[in-house]
Amino acid sequence: MPCLYICGECGAEHEIKPKEPVKCKDCTHRIMYKKRTDKMIQFEAR
Amino acid sequence: MVNKSTTNGVSDPNLENKRTKVTLTNSGVENARGTYYSGAYTSVGYDNSFNLNRFKENFKINILSESANELVFEMIGIDAPIANALRRIMISEIPTMAIEKVYIINNTSILQDEVLAHRLGMIPIKVDPRKFNFKLPNKEYTAEDTLIFQLKVKCEKDSVTGKIINETALSKHLIWVPTQDQEEMFPNEEDRPRPMEDDIPIMKLRPGQVIDIQCYCEKNIGREHIKWSPVCTASYRLQPVISVDKSIKGDKANQLLEKCPKKVFDIEDSGQVVAARPLDCTMCRECIRDPEFEQNVKIERVRDHFIFSIESTGALKSREIFQEAIKIFIEKCNIVEESINKLVN
Repeated sequence: MPCLYICGECGAEHEIKPKEPVKCKDCTHRIMYKKRTDKMIQFEAR
Repeated sequence: MVNKSTTNGVSDPNLENKRTKVTLTNSGVENARGTYYSGAYTSVGYDNSFNLNRFKENFKINILSESANELVFEMIGIDAPIANALRRIMISEIPTMAIEKVYIINNTSILQDEVLAHRLGMIPIKVDPRKFNFKLPNKEYTAEDTLIFQLKVKCEKDSVTGKIINETALSKHLIWVPTQDQEEMFPNEEDRPRPMEDDIPIMKLRPGQVIDIQCYCEKNIGREHIKWSPVCTASYRLQPVISVDKSIKGDKANQLLEKCPKKVFDIEDSGQVVAARPLDCTMCRECIRDPEFEQNVKIERVRDHFIFSIESTGALKSREIFQEAIKIFIEKCNIVEESINKLVN
């Protein structure tokens, strides 16, 4: 399963493979965020 | 022993004062602890032992004020440990329903999931907890012990007017999702589970942000977590008695009136100072700080006269909370009685 990252500058989603530079392919911004899981997460309301 | 007990108490006024009142002085509180020894006043002809008939005769409850959420009443003729036990039971042992498990499907807001979950737990849920069972650990959720709420809010800009919709996720966005035959449990529209208030802000959103959450409510008690406490707080204080002696007149009387920040004192037409509003006294002792007045003003509290104030969060009415507290207290006493009986037999 490809791992998608969100660009911190332009918000585009890109796949980054191992050993690839951490960089947005659109705007060359170097801060990329990992996407939130689409699974449900359980928390205790305490 | 000859029982010479009277309800009038001890004949010596000084001793009677010590027996029934707590005195406030500049150096601290005097006689805070009552005398419980049954023979303490035998030499002056007063039977200090506990007597059920005397208790029944003297015990009184009067309601002072009652509003939608707050009840103030006085309870006269009871010992402090019992009054305190009732207060503690009201705070921490009466069950209510509160959000316990939070399933977050999506949350793109800036509030972290765990902070959001904690906030959701604190929202008071208006539903009669007596209709539900305690959830057993490691058991599946059932309709008898769990309520489900859904919180699904999307903030967006209206394409026509440009207005931002759902800028704040409010407690009214928590929608009850009935499971199985839960709808039949609440035939009346107003009894249906919902948050106590509709306008409690849960979080602020910006256009494009969404939250999609399922909340599971469970029944539990305040000792486990304060979110299950049915009261905002339940507290009591002792009935104040303030007396001013006759020597304070004229200028001194006006000085005394000035001293009290709560304006407890009034001057009568005769020039005598009286404590007209003793209930407003906050025990600040400002009136006796000056040594000139220390001997003339007496601040006391009646040892067995409690003024309770119960503020409900809304799930139960204040008076129901007190009634439930007494039921729980009786249950606790029964447990003690049973275990003593087992020891004796």
